[in-house]
Amino acid sequence: MNALRFAWRSLVRQPARATLGVLGVAAVGALLLDMLLLSQGLVVSMRDLLERSGWDIRVSASELPGRGGRVSSATRTAERIAALPSVKAALLVRIANADIERSNGSPITAVFQGVSGRSTRAEPITPPWTVVRGRDARGPGEVVIDTAIASAANLEIGSTITLRANCVGDREALPPARLSVVGIADFPFAGTNEDAMGGSLDALKAACGGNVGDEADLLLVTSATEPNQTAAAIRAAVPHLYALTNADVVGRLQQTGFTYFRQISTVLTTVTVSFAVLLITVLLTVSVNQRLGEIAALRALGFSRSRVVADVLSESSLIVGLGGLLSLPLGVLLAAGLDRILKGMPGIPAELHFFVFERTALALHVGLLAATAVIAALYPMRIVSTLPIAATLRDEVIG
Amino acid sequence: MADVIVDARAVSRTFAMPAGPVHAVRDVTLQIGAGDHVAVRGPSGCGKSTLLHMLGCVDAPSSGTLLFDGKDVSRLSDSKRSALRLTRIGFIFQRFFLLPMLTAAENVELPLSEAGAAKRDRQERIKELLDYVGLSPRADHRPSQLSGGEMQRVAIARALANRPQLLLADEPTGELDEATGAQIASLLDRVNADGTALVIVTHDSTLADRAARVLMMRDGRLEREIRR
Repeated sequence: MNALRFAWRSLVRQPARATLGVLGVAAVGALLLDMLLLSQGLVVSMRDLLERSGWDIRVSASELPGRGGRVSSATRTAERIAALPSVKAALLVRIANADIERSNGSPITAVFQGVSGRSTRAEPITPPWTVVRGRDARGPGEVVIDTAIASAANLEIGSTITLRANCVGDREALPPARLSVVGIADFPFAGTNEDAMGGSLDALKAACGGNVGDEADLLLVTSATEPNQTAAAIRAAVPHLYALTNADVVGRLQQTGFTYFRQISTVLTTVTVSFAVLLITVLLTVSVNQRLGEIAALRALGFSRSRVVADVLSESSLIVGLGGLLSLPLGVLLAAGLDRILKGMPGIPAELHFFVFERTALALHVGLLAATAVIAALYPMRIVSTLPIAATLRDEVIG
Repeated sequence: MADVIVDARAVSRTFAMPAGPVHAVRDVTLQIGAGDHVAVRGPSGCGKSTLLHMLGCVDAPSSGTLLFDGKDVSRLSDSKRSALRLTRIGFIFQRFFLLPMLTAAENVELPLSEAGAAKRDRQERIKELLDYVGLSPRADHRPSQLSGGEMQRVAIARALANRPQLLLADEPTGELDEATGAQIASLLDRVNADGTALVIVTHDSTLADRAARVLMMRDGRLEREIRR
């Protein structure tokens, strides 16, 4: 009977203790997996989201797009950037808040993205949304809306919406604008609880009564060459603006907001692993102490020191292995729940995920649990390896 | 004397205790030969079990020399002493120390698998041993399903698994009633008659009376030896 089979029989012998250990490791392992997914999840998800958008560079007036002032002389700036040899296309994005009136019920507040493309190469310019039904908005009287608005306001393609835009300040009293819905679209950068609509910059200007000035919140650029070179060329052309590649944006976010999640993840990973080590150490130590007589008898019968140590290590490995396997589905379920909760935070794009499954996270999870099995078994292994056979047999008889 | 298995020369065992050293065994010299049947008797605490543990190489003398098959045990590494116990010495204990999660057959199998016996050889040997101790019908029973006498018989089968030269028994009837103790004594007699040297530590005079040599101990010393 090898050490693993022997350890399995030892576990089965005390099902309550074994179950407690396995469930404890499963719970801890699930948390550990989630912390590992969280540590890189936002970065991976944001990188994926940025790369899927089709735009390589973001030009803005602040260090991070959307966190500062607007780009002034936006039209001319977009034209200058689009004229650079390494640029395929540039898209000017202006954002305003809009209240969409409903026949029954209070207005729906939405984010209205108005865009205007520039390209010297006749490149097709994709907007920062994806049309899922109907067609894209083209003229000043057309918009696309997301499914949430369509559902809440009972709108269909061909419907007309009445909205009041809020383009410059909070205290504007603009006349309502009437726009035609020509499509239903997904807005990947819209927040989970944020309704969004999009159209041309002319449509936004129409909604704002022309009260938008020549300003943009953001310029999106598609590069014809390596994005870093293009970003450098843009910075040289418009030195007062920030030109960030997708990698730069992810890097900045890592240094700012995302770093908190990473730190939290590191702390919680350490705590969960420590807890697992303590749990298994206590369970194994209790188990070994209950069996000292049997272990001493096995040693007297000729079982080597390394064999009884291997039995303990195998028992630890089995508890951690079974718990670790169970922790995977538990961790995935827990991550899905936590992701939903965290995505409820304001300003988080609906398509951004905090927990992203990665092979490296899984490998680290397995590695940490394996280390847990070994570290947790160290003390009980020491007990059995240094067990005085004769004294233990004598004590067992006296006891 | 037949071929000497164990040769103890002036062995002593002293335990360091907070109140001062305790001399459990003092200056004992004895030889156990092949096929010997030896009983060790004496009052509680006189050092019988300690002597047995030294003879079985689970404890080392504080002074003196213990030779097993002519080899100085104190010079052997822990793993070599383990291998010696596994293949040359069998132990049976007052409290049996069977593993409760294993069946009778699996308990007997343990020393065989530890010694690296092939599966087929193991199965044959288990059957042979359980037949020998009269427990074949109980092969698949766990210790909790066996009586005390049956557990001790399984323990004897386990101790004999690797065909040891020397079988050491520490109060083998201590937990059994008189009738069951007598059955175990008969079984041990048969083991000895079949060629295994037997050393029994016991308070049970009827068990000791079956031995060819009775060693009387007092205060850690070998007081006298009775030969029959």
